[in-house]
Amino acid sequence: MKIDHLPFALLLTLFACNESQPNQNQTPAVNQLTAEQPAPAAQPTTDMYVGDFLAVDFDSKKNISYTNKITIAIESAANGVIKGFSVVAGNSRPFNGTFTETGNTLNATAREPGDDKYDGVFTFQLHRDSQTVTGTWKANDRKLGVTKRSFDLKKRNFKYDPTLEMEEADVMDEAGYRVQFYQNLSESEGEPDYAEAMTSDALKFNASKTLLRKEDIENMHKGDLEVIRNAIYARHGYSFKNRRMRYVFDRVDWFMPISTNITQELTDLEKKNIDLLKRYEQHAERYYDSFGR
Amino acid sequence: MLYVVNHEIQSKKGHKMRSIASLPNSALLFYAFFTYLMLRITAQYIPIDTDVAFLRIKQEYIGMWHYRVAFFAHVFTAIVTLVAGFTQFSTPLRRKFPVVHRWSGWAYAAVVLLVAGPSGFVIGWYANGGWSSQMAFCLLAILWMGFTGLAIKSIREGDIAAHRRWMIRSFALTLSAITLRAWKFAIVAVLEPRPMDVYRVVAWLGWVLNLVVAEWWIRKNQR
Repeated sequence: MKIDHLPFALLLTLFACNESQPNQNQTPAVNQLTAEQPAPAAQPTTDMYVGDFLAVDFDSKKNISYTNKITIAIESAANGVIKGFSVVAGNSRPFNGTFTETGNTLNATAREPGDDKYDGVFTFQLHRDSQTVTGTWKANDRKLGVTKRSFDLKKRNFKYDPTLEMEEADVMDEAGYRVQFYQNLSESEGEPDYAEAMTSDALKFNASKTLLRKEDIENMHKGDLEVIRNAIYARHGYSFKNRRMRYVFDRVDWFMPISTNITQELTDLEKKNIDLLKRYEQHAERYYDSFGR
Repeated sequence: MLYVVNHEIQSKKGHKMRSIASLPNSALLFYAFFTYLMLRITAQYIPIDTDVAFLRIKQEYIGMWHYRVAFFAHVFTAIVTLVAGFTQFSTPLRRKFPVVHRWSGWAYAAVVLLVAGPSGFVIGWYANGGWSSQMAFCLLAILWMGFTGLAIKSIREGDIAAHRRWMIRSFALTLSAITLRAWKFAIVAVLEPRPMDVYRVVAWLGWVLNLVVAEWWIRKNQR
């Protein structure tokens, strides 16, 4: 065997592990010859499913999120072993477990590592025909605010699209009130203040597409500036740890959490806008309703 | 220091004027409190940093040296003019220590005419909120220097009554540092308007009303 064919041959053996080789019954010598023009190796694709992660068993006295948007990613499902990860509420956790197949449905049980307070076990069905994943999740820690959640997710490919924007419906709730940054199930007293809610100003600019000038944003309330800035992160699939922003973007159709760190993905235009927006947010935070300036 | 009620003083022209010295201690305490707040604002800029507090939203101007100089000159000297509120308007103090009145008065005028006024004009030129605020602050600077200059001219000519009138107007504008911010606080607390809309309003309201009150006060005490 020629030395410079060795790397290719080794590379191919990596992919040989889980996938069935088309020319398995050929002799090794033939394999090495075909290694000269490496056949496109079967790449494992990660399939993502997104939807709502609903609280089923919970302690209502605790400050819980009744629903969060979740993405479950299945990296590989072969030989009865399933591997993947989930992204929800600012957490990205791997899971692995086993599965069986009944017809066009895959039934899986997969555990998260267990070293994180919020780890648990997923039990779900992957329906290949409808391209959905339905199931439940149970927390390892029975003292958590939410110990069981359910989900019914649809397959979706994530692709960064800087033109995605929110609509009026994302800004106002069903009753026609400005969306507050927090899911307040208790009676809210009057209108929320402008730092904790958004107005239709938040729809005025797409900070992933347009370079903002100070004249564009200097007369906006803090809440709107914050939403315009966080929409940048949302477009990149950032999973919000901040409950307030999570509440805003979970309601948006196109939003799909896929990562807990997207800072490397930000474009130069976005970075400039983030800097400008942060300055005015900070200014509003410190000086809007105070004596100082 | 107790400000004794002392009503009638003969001016050069024979008009009886009531001195501002009839302010109760509580008003002075009030004033001291606001002076303290202004000091805290000034303190934000120590050590000198071109990307702190208010300058965080003036980054497009801090590259210009004349803006930097004007900004820091104004921030560090204008505060001194507030001291005049404690030293210049007390009749007992003027009577017992006329030298204090004169020296503080000269210091006040020097600061306004040589540093705080001109620097105020320069940074007013670049004010937030557009042409209306820019006009408001530049006009404020011009009037502040004008009134102060006329007050100095009057006393050098020996016209005490005119000196008092111009200084009342000058100080009314000095007080705008406090009244502008107080108005902003009140308007935001009640109406929650957009930030630049508030700013455009208080850029004018902060000092024009002070002048109206000053005129009323002057006329009231001339009868």
